[in-house]
Amino acid sequence: MTPFQVKDCGLLVRMSGLPSAINLRELRERIAACSENVLFHHFCETQLRPAFDHPDYRNDFAVWAKWYLSDRVLAERLGILDPFSMSSLEELRAVTLDIIDERLSEVAMIPSAAQGDEFFFLETTTVVFHTEEQVTHPRDLAKTIKDMSNGSVYYHFLEARRREPVGTDDFSAWLKEEEKKNAKYIRALESIDFYFHSLGNLKEDIVAALRKVDRKR
Amino acid sequence: MSDRLSAYEGIVGSSRITQLRRIGKKLGGIRVVHVNSTRQGGGVAEILDWMVPLMREAGLDATWEVIEGTDDFFEVTKNIHNGLQGRPVDLSHRGWKIFQEVNEMNMERLRPTLTDADIVVIHDPQPAFLLPLCSERKGKWVWRGHIDISRPFRPVWKVLRTMLEKYDASIFSMCEFAQALPHTQYIVPPSIDPLSSKNRDLDMSELENVRARFGLDPERPLLVQVSRFDRFKDPVGVIQAYRMVRKVLPVQLVLAGGTATDDPEGKAVLEDVMEVAEEDPDIHVLNLPPNAHETINALQRLADIILQKSTREGFGLTVTEGMWKGKPVIGGDTGGIRLQVVNHHTGFLVNTPEGAAHRIRYLLHHQNRISEMGAVAREFVRENFLLTRHLREYLTLFLAIRRETDVRRLEV
Repeated sequence: MTPFQVKDCGLLVRMSGLPSAINLRELRERIAACSENVLFHHFCETQLRPAFDHPDYRNDFAVWAKWYLSDRVLAERLGILDPFSMSSLEELRAVTLDIIDERLSEVAMIPSAAQGDEFFFLETTTVVFHTEEQVTHPRDLAKTIKDMSNGSVYYHFLEARRREPVGTDDFSAWLKEEEKKNAKYIRALESIDFYFHSLGNLKEDIVAALRKVDRKR
Repeated sequence: MSDRLSAYEGIVGSSRITQLRRIGKKLGGIRVVHVNSTRQGGGVAEILDWMVPLMREAGLDATWEVIEGTDDFFEVTKNIHNGLQGRPVDLSHRGWKIFQEVNEMNMERLRPTLTDADIVVIHDPQPAFLLPLCSERKGKWVWRGHIDISRPFRPVWKVLRTMLEKYDASIFSMCEFAQALPHTQYIVPPSIDPLSSKNRDLDMSELENVRARFGLDPERPLLVQVSRFDRFKDPVGVIQAYRMVRKVLPVQLVLAGGTATDDPEGKAVLEDVMEVAEEDPDIHVLNLPPNAHETINALQRLADIILQKSTREGFGLTVTEGMWKGKPVIGGDTGGIRLQVVNHHTGFLVNTPEGAAHRIRYLLHHQNRISEMGAVAREFVRENFLLTRHLREYLTLFLAIRRETDVRRLEV
């Protein structure tokens, strides 16, 4: 197998250029018009931002609905969305808009935030760092992942799904170089319900899943 | 190989330092000039104090220039500062003229440096007019706003905006501060230097010296607010909160601050604070010189609880400093304090002296929460608000703006 090259990453955040949204109708308009990078940031890159391990919801739209629109029904509906289960960001956008449209049809007054609590649309530049580290054998993968930074876990397990081969994490893509031989590792990684984890928890789960396979060998 | 960058490996890990060196190498020794209005006093000077040497060690040709101004000029810029933070101010045509003239005077001195620089970073509004005066500039100019301009006093913002529009990019500490400008606006929270004299570990003897010097009682809880004597920091509100707690608990309060050369209002605020303190022996109002870093460090370490009851705040580096020392922070529910103080995790956000008093009493009655929150606070700072993260984002930003277009991915 080709050695697996470990990378790390960080984000440089910038304003998307879209006006902020102060109510649910404006949020809908902006989500309909924003770039896929903006959508990806507010659904997926939230993991790399300063936060504590157990926020109510993983995506920014659900958090904003709960705290600033005080609409817990909408927050719960948006909060369960798993962007990585969708076939594309366009599908994610369509589902998100559908949930908001449904909510707009239910409420008597449009939920609105106070001035100063608007939703700001952001996007990022991902800075990818090449490290000297590499893995040459699948049995060493768990040990390497255990020592990885959150940036590396994010890059290889979450961000990877946006790159070719789309929908696959980097570890699985590497293991598929010898798919038959590594089938148990691949299945173990596939079994992880990862989106609602913090990166710290996700790392623990990946390591545990791989080690379980090692023990059975 | 630089020693100073390596010194942070023990705190953030060697991979983070390797990353900084890699980006620095990729930037290939570009010439970067930072410009602000004071060498000492306040968060901006403290940031530049470490950032410029570390940029040099990462391989950039970085320098730091300070504009010189008259008393009149700093009166005007204080008004601009207050106006940007939302206070209605009376800025006359003459005031803006003084602002421009002092920038022109400084431009004559700085012209060769600024014209040839690959990147110029102008910090805060004071030197903002330098760009319109540098028509022959070769590099990219970035405006870095350190203050909360989320709801500026419009007449001040409208004039300043005409200057800022000409920049190639701007940087804000939080997205809430960004304004409609015709260029890319980056969001980069500031940070602290864990090895600086203000944040390094201190021996017990150093703490005891400071405790004795200011006559602080080791047997009674100590509340500390460190900040410039500035009305937006609400020192009077802190005294009000202390008095509410003092009725039931024998606390002591330290209000430690100083004034900066670019802040003419500090003296008046200090006088107000002294008057409100009414010679209470348990209120220690300390007007410290700008280089009293070890003293500030010791006071923060001696504190049971750190206060930062600001009503407007750009970021609040004193909050970060307190958290790094393992203390819970009771902070004003505003600006960058919201990024750092998370209720029940690292401290409490409050809106009134009453709210502050309530949270002080809660913590003093739950001593275990003080240590638990303090430990969480320190790790939160390690992960998010140390200078290595800050430096990495600046260097990345330099790479990005030199490419002309917004890039989705950079490989280093």
